[in-house]
Amino acid sequence: MIKLIKIELKKILTYKIFWILIGLYFIFLTAGLLMAEFMINNMVDNLNKQSPIPFPHVAIYFFPWVWQNISFFATIRYVLIFPAIIIIILITNEFTFKTIRQNVINGLSKAEFLISKILLIVVISVIMTFFLMIGTLIIGISHTADITFALIIQKSSFIFGFFITMLCFQIFALFFGFLLRNTGLSIALFTLYIFIAEPILYHLLKAPFIFKNNISPYLPVNSIIRVTEYPSIPILKQVMGLNLQDSISLGTCCVPLLYSAIMIGIVYWVLVKRDL
Amino acid sequence: METVLSISNISKRYGKIQAVNDLSLDVKKGQVFGILGPNGSGKTTTLSIILELIKSNSGSFQWFGKAPSNESRKRIGSVIESPNFFPYLNPVINLKIVADIKDLDYTDIDRVLKLTGLYDRRKSRFKTFSFGMKQRLAVASALLGNPDVLILDEPTNGLDPQGIAHIRELILLIAGQGTTIIIASHLLDEVQKICSHVAVLNKGRKLFDGKVSEVLAISDSFELSARNMEALTQAVKSYPGFQSMTPGDEKIQVYFNEVIRPDELNQFFFQQGISLTHLSERKRSLEQHFLELLHDNA
Repeated sequence: MIKLIKIELKKILTYKIFWILIGLYFIFLTAGLLMAEFMINNMVDNLNKQSPIPFPHVAIYFFPWVWQNISFFATIRYVLIFPAIIIIILITNEFTFKTIRQNVINGLSKAEFLISKILLIVVISVIMTFFLMIGTLIIGISHTADITFALIIQKSSFIFGFFITMLCFQIFALFFGFLLRNTGLSIALFTLYIFIAEPILYHLLKAPFIFKNNISPYLPVNSIIRVTEYPSIPILKQVMGLNLQDSISLGTCCVPLLYSAIMIGIVYWVLVKRDL
Repeated sequence: METVLSISNISKRYGKIQAVNDLSLDVKKGQVFGILGPNGSGKTTTLSIILELIKSNSGSFQWFGKAPSNESRKRIGSVIESPNFFPYLNPVINLKIVADIKDLDYTDIDRVLKLTGLYDRRKSRFKTFSFGMKQRLAVASALLGNPDVLILDEPTNGLDPQGIAHIRELILLIAGQGTTIIIASHLLDEVQKICSHVAVLNKGRKLFDGKVSEVLAISDSFELSARNMEALTQAVKSYPGFQSMTPGDEKIQVYFNEVIRPDELNQFFFQQGISLTHLSERKRSLEQHFLELLHDNA
């Protein structure tokens, strides 16, 4: 396993495009997280123009709710697309450069090749979770008046939710990369599915005449992104009557993890069956 | 002698095209084995099957007397078709990846880079390489860790004469160290210069195999006539290297399996008391010979 990670690291450490995309991801993520409160309050202001009773401004960066809020905003589609595209490029590159062929010729099995890519995703997800944890601690500590240790760790399970979303979203990208093999095609279809196809499907399936029970939440991307369902903002409860989560439940993690397992299974089956 | 590779009855079909047809081969330790055939005769498909890139429809093969596995591929160095490396990495990192896969340490990298003349360019990215250099890096990668078997698919394809000479020298050097080498080529001349054994393929079928000196023996022929045709016919049979003869009233066509000098031949008949009235040498080019081989067995 260490050997496979060593090989993967050699493939990316001096790869410029990888670092440019990682850099862009960090910039978008940081900017998005720091602007989230400002944007929400902007929306509150707009809402107040039509509302007889003004809503108060929200604060999202204090403990313990900061865990939930940061995890929510760090897992919106526009941000998650960056690591997903990186994964697609790294996988389809292997087909474009025919290096997957060369790796197999040199003595790597197809299964080992697939495992090495999954390990890369795990490593990226762990590192990102670690960074986000540090970031959340910094943001939280600087925005909370009376800090106690108990307060800090109270809602920290949401960071685990972020990890699950990162992991499963990239596995979804891996699925596209391995099946389509072509960089441009994979990125195009992946983006189309994330931003257009599934949202349309989501609303279609909501229609009561299709299924008795609403299965929309169980669509793959939706289930992956909604591990952290909503940010903890009182207005959502008051105005829209939403039920806010208290913590990350294993139940919500099960669906995306199950999707990941199925996709890895399909990729393995196709990889073994197809000639290189 | 120890059998390195044993192929039994493999077939591979792509739709209507039978790429490999019931092919069986044995490669023994220390042989330089040529797989000779025109383009599309199934050479690359065969190599891809024995390297587990593609699955055959039927038949089986063994490496080192065992079923093929990752471990057996780690003992083989291969250059198949185009050189496949990460364009944005320099040759050292590219070779480190190969070494990691094959469970080798990095100490051999400098040696193979020097051997293929790429040591001075070890810091340049692969995509800045010329085609010849890319091909040489593929050879360097195949040589990493002194593999037991070297597989080369058209190793001199697309190289300039200097590059061809360099690669051939390298192959002979490695063959001299006792490494088993399997080379696919459509160039008869190449196989003849490098290989000890050869299998000739056409349309996925093996026509014949054996020692290069036997399979590809060039029999030059001579047209001879003399006043006394009968004495000539008798005398020529005792000439060293005589193979066969097409009799005729006016002329006879004589085939030899050795290189024959016409002046020596002439002198021989003179000593036998026969004066030739006609002597002409018919040389067949290697390519002509190859085409005849294929044609006779089509």
